[in-house]
Amino acid sequence: MVEAVVAVTKKNSLALLIAAALALPLTTTYASEEEASFQYGHYEDGARNLFNAQSGFKPIQVDSIQTNTKLKLADRVRLAFNYTQDTWSGATPVTTAPLAFAGNRQRVIDAKKNILSGASPYLQNDAVYVDSQFNPLQQDLKTAKFTKNNQLVHTLSTASPETRKQGDLRFGYDWDEASLDIGAGTSAENDYNSSFGNIGGRLDFNQKLTSVNFGASYTASETDATLDHDAFDYIKDLKTLGKLKNKFVKGQKKDWSGSLGLTQVLNKAALVEGSVSYTVSNGYMANPYKTTAILFVDPMQKIGKNGELNAKMFAFLEQRPDERQQWTENLRYVQHVARFDASLHLDYRFYHDDWGIQAHTISSDWIQSLGDGWSITPRVRYYSQNAADFYTPYVLTKQAGNKTTFDSKLLPQNYSSDYRLSGYGALSGGLTVTKKFAKGLELQAGAEYYTHAGALKLGSGGEGNYADFDGYLVNAALKVDLATLSMANSNHTEHSHHAHHRASVPAGVMFDHVLPNAGDVMISYRYMYANQAGTTQNRTNVISDATIVNNGCEPRKCFVTPDEMSMNMHMLDLMYAPTDWLTLMLMPQFMDMHMTMRALNGAPPTPNMMTDALGAAIVHSAHEHTTGGIGDTGMYALFNLLKLSNQQLNISLGVTAPTGDSGIQLRDTHKFDLGFIHYGMQLGSGTWDFKPALTYTVNVDDWSFGAQLNGTKRLESHNKAGFVLGDIFQATGWGSYNWTNWLAASVRGVYTLQGSLQGAYRGVYHQIGAMDYGQNYGGRFVDVGFGINASMPNGSLQGNRLSFEWLQPVHDDVNGYQLPREGALSATWSYAF
Amino acid sequence: MYRFFYLLPIIFLWGCSSVSPWERGTLAKSEMRLDVAPLQSSLRSHQYGSREAASGGGQSGGGGCGCY
Repeated sequence: MVEAVVAVTKKNSLALLIAAALALPLTTTYASEEEASFQYGHYEDGARNLFNAQSGFKPIQVDSIQTNTKLKLADRVRLAFNYTQDTWSGATPVTTAPLAFAGNRQRVIDAKKNILSGASPYLQNDAVYVDSQFNPLQQDLKTAKFTKNNQLVHTLSTASPETRKQGDLRFGYDWDEASLDIGAGTSAENDYNSSFGNIGGRLDFNQKLTSVNFGASYTASETDATLDHDAFDYIKDLKTLGKLKNKFVKGQKKDWSGSLGLTQVLNKAALVEGSVSYTVSNGYMANPYKTTAILFVDPMQKIGKNGELNAKMFAFLEQRPDERQQWTENLRYVQHVARFDASLHLDYRFYHDDWGIQAHTISSDWIQSLGDGWSITPRVRYYSQNAADFYTPYVLTKQAGNKTTFDSKLLPQNYSSDYRLSGYGALSGGLTVTKKFAKGLELQAGAEYYTHAGALKLGSGGEGNYADFDGYLVNAALKVDLATLSMANSNHTEHSHHAHHRASVPAGVMFDHVLPNAGDVMISYRYMYANQAGTTQNRTNVISDATIVNNGCEPRKCFVTPDEMSMNMHMLDLMYAPTDWLTLMLMPQFMDMHMTMRALNGAPPTPNMMTDALGAAIVHSAHEHTTGGIGDTGMYALFNLLKLSNQQLNISLGVTAPTGDSGIQLRDTHKFDLGFIHYGMQLGSGTWDFKPALTYTVNVDDWSFGAQLNGTKRLESHNKAGFVLGDIFQATGWGSYNWTNWLAASVRGVYTLQGSLQGAYRGVYHQIGAMDYGQNYGGRFVDVGFGINASMPNGSLQGNRLSFEWLQPVHDDVNGYQLPREGALSATWSYAF
Repeated sequence: MYRFFYLLPIIFLWGCSSVSPWERGTLAKSEMRLDVAPLQSSLRSHQYGSREAASGGGQSGGGGCGCY
């Protein structure tokens, strides 16, 4: 079956398609059998309408990367590995309340320029008024007159950056007319972890024109959240109406899910799929960061002279049922339109659950081929849902809100003002452009605009326009079809030789070679992990807490010190040779960082966090800090200065563009603006940087040797945030030995010199430890690297190269006061074709 | 169980369909797959899932929250 595909080497697309048609069940969604893909995505909300409050909060934004690798382990055995990482930060609604009750309290940063900081969530108001019909009353502060105002508004709160990582593995086995897949994975974030397992299968009938698909999955999730600092003081305990006692919310959830589908080829240009799925969930399903406002009005009180009733508004954690059953029914239709050489995809989904939500989703994609591998896909999607039974913007309870008379039994059992449970509609439209290259490489870029509005709900009864918002999603993806590549490469001896030469270079070395022929392409995915931990050093000496306190933060004192800092970096290395003497290289990066701190023994007393921003910053440092997102983007040109049969000398000249954020700030806490996060947690340098490298390599029998000088020169005196990282000079040399024709081991030495950070943040910034001072960055470092490299000389994965290197620090001479480095791991997969 | 009834018309179509192997060139094109760009679809599903109450419908799911 599969051999039928591989045997087709002629570039006859019709023959290829027929072969594919014979081999694969037409009704399945399987893409290429062996492929590697990478995607970057960015989603951003638009600003929310807060009416009279002008929030300085940035709306929520999310950066995502996804990698997906599919391989064949044997003729009928498939393996797929997926990795997803999201990092998000920004403001979202935490509750809803009448506008008259002023939920978004502002702090003025610069009155002249009318700049306001993010409005603090103000979830409690002991003195609000309603009329005899319980409509909210707005009081004019000058005339003291009341006017009815039913306008609602969200109260926003913002979050420091947070990262989620998910990995999953899936094994599949194919029979002639059936397949079975078994998978498992795990997802981890600061306050939510889940693990899942699933099984899915397919049975083909009717000469593969009909398929039955089935699947089942189980997910176990755990919430372990710390309540919002700014909001915690205002959240009430359900029993006593006093301040909530516990700021930690823990919960567990279990989901069981099953699905059944039938796919049918209708004719030679159309197919349809119908499927149903059912999920039952038990456990904690509320969002720990969402509160519901409860309005207490004592019905026994006398009506005031202006017709007003006194009322109190308090916030409670939202309450959701601990069981949910969800049903989904899908219909998908695909039609090829020969006249336009296009395909139409129509999807309809009906969703309903026992929380009272019914939702309709309809989407349509028109995939238009433009020739030469190009296609363009306009898309439109409409979604509409009605509200959950327990959704309410706020709860009205007719009782006095004080500890002695409060009766929690008079409150509804469940309530939530989460806008996602309200009635509304959403309309989105987008465009995707795809280019397929002959050698099995595919690039894709897409954008989609999304608008959410109560008025867009099917029928009437949508939520008010205070909850309307919009957003956009963009993505860029790269896919490599490994099966096509290996076919194209099967007789390419120069590549084999080239791959063999490349096999000996350690994973952590970049810019080491120029592609040999005009038109050559090489794709690499590089991953790097680096870690710092241990006892803080001054130059080469391990020092005591007291020394750090007194000298690490000169001219001030240090309060805390980093405990552990780690960085994960994902790089995509795209190389193309327009001529045989020049190679161009584009290197986008995605990174995330993590840091924990501890209090220093002998530090000065921490100022009161309720009255002093520095105190709030020091207390807040007990929480781990994370950042993540797109890093700086490298653009390079590589030339051969010398090219002999066994030696190469090449030079790489390039720059990095400051695409990484260098102005990330911590969220407000205890009503204080904490300002910029520590320098080392920023994702980019913020400056354009010049990065030259000179590399020499030589091969002698089974031995290979190389040496490289490289540097980073900052081309600007400071970045937008106000600082500039130190320049870097690095010298490295390596030797490697080919044990077999596919496996090599390497040893490397690295010397790195980096200057200290110059300048300082312009803006709010609390210096609590040595990492907040520029003099404590850079230094002189020596590492020894041990690497192992494998390259596939033949078989379906011919031309693939996989290498790993561990860099072990042997000498740290740091500038000022820094944590010692523990080591760095590099892993590189590359493919030249 | 009534929910499965709407699958019946598809089952009826089963018997009507006859597409010979040499007529399947169009159906084998990548743009005729039910999910043409799975990575893009999963990104979209995640974004919709973080903004809408309805989710799922895909085969054998599972995953984390990432709720923002």
